[in-house]
Amino acid sequence: MPIPESDVKWVEEARLGFWEQLYVPAMIDGLKTTIGHIFSPQVKTEQYPEQEPKMPANYRGVHRLNRDEKDRVKCVACYMCATACPAHCIDIVAAPAPAEWADREKYPETFVIDELRCIYCGMCEEACPVDAIELTTLYDLTGLSREQMVFDKEKLLSVFDQTTKAGTDPVRTRAGRLSVASEAPPGQ
Amino acid sequence: MPPFNPVYTAIVIVALVGAVLGLCAFLTLTERKLSAWMQDRVGPNRVGPGGLLQPMADGGKFFLKEEVIPDHVDKLFYVLAPAAAVGTALLALAVVPFGSTVAPPDPVAVTAPAAGGPTPVETFERQQAEYRSHFSFVLNPGLDIGVLYLFAVGSLAVYGGVLAGWSANNKYSLLGALRASAQIISYEIPLGMSVLGVFLIVGSLNPERIIDWQTAGGPYWLLLFQPLALFLFMTSSYAEASRLPFDLPEAEQELVGGYHTEYSALKLGLMLLSEYVHLIAGSFMLAVLFLGGWSLFGLESVSDDPIVTAVLRLLILCGKMFALCIFAQLVRWTIPRFRFDQLMNIAWKVLLPLALLNLICVMVVKQMGWPLVVLTGTSAALVVGAGLFSVWTAGSVTNPKRKVVKLPAGVPAGVTYAS
Amino acid sequence: MPTVYVNDKPVEIGNRKLNCVQAAELAGQFIPHYCWHEALSVVASCRMCLVEVGDVNPKDGVLTMQPKVVPGCQTPVRDGTHIVTGEYDKRDTSFPARPYDANYLKGGAPGTRAKKSQADTLEGLLINHPLDCPVCDKAGECKLQDFSFKYGRSESRMVDVKNTPPNKPHLSSKITLFTDRCIMCTRCVRFTREISGTAELMVNGRGHHEEIDTFPGRPLENKLAGNVVDLCPVGALGSKDFLYKQRVWYLKESNGVCSRCSTGCSTFVDTNKDIVYRLRARPNPEAQGHFMCDEGRYGYHFANSAERIQRPQVKADGVLKPAAWNVVTPQLKKTFTDAASASAKTVVGVLSPFLTVEEAFLYATYFKSLSADVRLAIGPVPVVGHDDTYPKDVKGNPVEPVKFVIRAEKCPNRRGVEAVIKHFQGSVPAFADVATESLTALWFVGGYPDKDQLAASLPANWKAPALVVAQDLFAGPITAAASFVLPATSNFEKAGTFVNHAGLAQTFDRAVRPPTEVRTELQVAFDLLGRKGLVQAAAIRAELAAAIPAFAHLATKELPANGVRFELATV
Repeated sequence: MPIPESDVKWVEEARLGFWEQLYVPAMIDGLKTTIGHIFSPQVKTEQYPEQEPKMPANYRGVHRLNRDEKDRVKCVACYMCATACPAHCIDIVAAPAPAEWADREKYPETFVIDELRCIYCGMCEEACPVDAIELTTLYDLTGLSREQMVFDKEKLLSVFDQTTKAGTDPVRTRAGRLSVASEAPPGQ
Repeated sequence: MPPFNPVYTAIVIVALVGAVLGLCAFLTLTERKLSAWMQDRVGPNRVGPGGLLQPMADGGKFFLKEEVIPDHVDKLFYVLAPAAAVGTALLALAVVPFGSTVAPPDPVAVTAPAAGGPTPVETFERQQAEYRSHFSFVLNPGLDIGVLYLFAVGSLAVYGGVLAGWSANNKYSLLGALRASAQIISYEIPLGMSVLGVFLIVGSLNPERIIDWQTAGGPYWLLLFQPLALFLFMTSSYAEASRLPFDLPEAEQELVGGYHTEYSALKLGLMLLSEYVHLIAGSFMLAVLFLGGWSLFGLESVSDDPIVTAVLRLLILCGKMFALCIFAQLVRWTIPRFRFDQLMNIAWKVLLPLALLNLICVMVVKQMGWPLVVLTGTSAALVVGAGLFSVWTAGSVTNPKRKVVKLPAGVPAGVTYAS
Repeated sequence: MPTVYVNDKPVEIGNRKLNCVQAAELAGQFIPHYCWHEALSVVASCRMCLVEVGDVNPKDGVLTMQPKVVPGCQTPVRDGTHIVTGEYDKRDTSFPARPYDANYLKGGAPGTRAKKSQADTLEGLLINHPLDCPVCDKAGECKLQDFSFKYGRSESRMVDVKNTPPNKPHLSSKITLFTDRCIMCTRCVRFTREISGTAELMVNGRGHHEEIDTFPGRPLENKLAGNVVDLCPVGALGSKDFLYKQRVWYLKESNGVCSRCSTGCSTFVDTNKDIVYRLRARPNPEAQGHFMCDEGRYGYHFANSAERIQRPQVKADGVLKPAAWNVVTPQLKKTFTDAASASAKTVVGVLSPFLTVEEAFLYATYFKSLSADVRLAIGPVPVVGHDDTYPKDVKGNPVEPVKFVIRAEKCPNRRGVEAVIKHFQGSVPAFADVATESLTALWFVGGYPDKDQLAASLPANWKAPALVVAQDLFAGPITAAASFVLPATSNFEKAGTFVNHAGLAQTFDRAVRPPTEVRTELQVAFDLLGRKGLVQAAAIRAELAAAIPAFAHLATKELPANGVRFELATV
């Protein structure tokens, strides 16, 4: 689509004056800045292994499958995450829920996420209608083989246990309440 | 200076090369640290206290990494190229004074000896003996073509790049090599042209004599009379050493690694080393040619003890060199890289004319016998004149631009064409 | 010519008796509806098809619109009927506006009442709906979702607790009822009363407490029961066979023809990643109408079975061993050609009634190319019981008029294969006739989806000759006697044409790819004939139509979706 002529802004290149044409003053200006930083550095670097970074609550790390108050997997196997997933890394096999789960009709018999295939975009979390899948703040995910990085339901639930115990709940999409990010920016 | 002694010379060479290589290693550390501080980072801090042993680790890595020689390279030249690069760079050190020197004796006029006086031969031998009795911190003292040799050997550096790029059979390498050769050859000219004025003033190509000229009778550093030449020389020497802002030959964003794309392990290390050796040699020359060599406002001769004096002068000269290296690094992390056309424009349209005009000024002043202070004024005038000229031509000479034409209606924006 | 105006667009309806929904359909205007179904009686209970209707007084030609919205499904149209739907504002404005009466226009612009009524209807339907779309199998093809999105409102004003009656998985062995999702359209109830006639389903309770239910001790078990799942516009009735297997948006739909009886029902084959997940009836008035039987509906599992013959096998030292196609084909060709040249009269090629006409044609061409004396025979035709007609009365006795027939002949293409064989040799011997002779070689091209049916239809006294080439889906008595066993493909894994009991030729598309080492019969025949190029059923069909006069009808490049009916006079 061509850009309409009204949207085109013509900009003339600024003409340099004598001082700028000399170039050396500009260099000295630059040197002043850089040398200034040498003598008054404002280092923000975190010394990683010794100093654990504090991840923001909306960091998108390893997935977890949430448990409900009866410790059952919260997921209802609706496949919304698998459908939304751009990397096709989620594999679910659904089944009718066990008879003793009175309030549930469907549950995931298996729930597998290939953490290597995942691009950590968080679409699964956005798609989930029951807040069952979430991305946690766990960022240091490693493994010794590809198989190790394919997380099954038990592993994903154990991530939930681990993060709840550590008090690093990522929760930002509680049922019925959307996060600040969903609100319109002020002035609109 | 004692007569030529192979063992002694070998020891000095080994010591000097070792010192320079060690200095190179630590220059990488200062480079990384300085850039880190400038960018509000920490820099290497894991190896040794405060990262001091980082150069060792880097060097060790160069030694221990797998040496990959791709199948498609021309083996002989591929292996030769790093050696050529480092070898030619190190050769330059042969004439570089790195400490106290004494001016070699003037040529002896061959005239009929005065009655009872010494014959010219006797005079020559006496002067030589006297010259040799001083200890000179140069590998090859008394070389009259000194700086000329330096330029000659420095020009060979281009071989390293060209051989590397050509033999690698890789288009990035070849492009890098072409850029390197074009750049180095172009900047040879302002580099040589800028110091011609110094030679005219001093009347010698011998670095020892140039130092002597500057120290004799007070600190008459050539910086005072040739500030423009100093600037031109410094700029050109950065370009010669392929330092940023002139590191076009290895512009990573465009050329992967430039002419050393296909190199790995120690060969890559040598390639990178050669650039630092160039920087060190260039800094030494700057210190010697313009900044008075080993002199520092009388500090060089506070002690009567010759050994203390020698050490002091060594420290002063090396300190100047080191400061210049640091300055080069500051410049590197301050000024962004030029575009290749800008690079060429600077060499041919700015540096070369200024160097020529500067040379003419020196000639005129020398011919007319005016005081050298006039040259300080002409340098300033040349800089101001260049600026005014540039303003007058709106930069169209050094940086010609395509005319931007407003398109007729209907042509989609974003399409430009020259009218 | 009687003309009806739908949103100002005139459409001629001819002499047909149509209701507003059908007339609007003719004009290209969809009127949403739940309870109305073409094959079922009209109850007008869902109130989704409310439209504004008016008529032209034939005496003075004045158009008078009715003051109230009426259900479109229950309102017949006649010449001069004007239908204004809720989508009047999106009408084709190239037609001039009709002279609506002032009284009508006083109540607002045309279509506003219908639109509001539909939105209100949807709100009412959703009052008790649990909105459990994430776990509902219907989500994605649910009319309640579609219409809510298109005609409804986005938020609910319901503040009270929803009515959540318990689910009824005991409804049937094949079908479960999610009672709370039901919108009481009663399509299923009407189906069991009008089509299957078995009347197992009923509406229990009144008003707010209405529920679909069965009579005690009378579960929904009849051979057409599966259709109620298709009929259900929401997710209330679920097939236990498909329950939670796939989300419907993953499924790819292709046109198929059921192979389990000679009715040849048109089907939709829903597949994902080369697995067939379910079959649905594809309405085809030429073949079977709107429905299909459970035998066919749940009869696709053989295609996914792990017991299928997966690769060619060659008998060596009395044991069948797997072999590669590029080894088997030349070896087989040579062996069979040798047998035919040794004694052509005792060589028989058997073409099963499960083959498509294209495959039968190519195989017949191959067998006859060996020698004109090589005989062709039709494979065993499985027949189970008698034709089963619907509707039935509550005692199970058939009732006229017949609305659906499950044929006793459990194969899709007996007539097509017979026509091909007849073209090549004039007579059509049955497998039972030739198999009892002493033969030297027998090539059995099978593809029987039910190995028990095949075993039952084999003559007891058949004798296996020395050389048997068996091509079938499952191992059975014939493959046991075979020296060469080739895998066959199911009807989902190939494209082709079946000719049903009434001579209706229907083409179908390939729905899934065959297993890795399985080649389609067409491909094998291509290889045997030494033909090169792409194997395309359509190309063979054209060839067949040119070669056999009985099939000349098939000469068109693409058959209509409903198939081509022709009488195979020669059969």
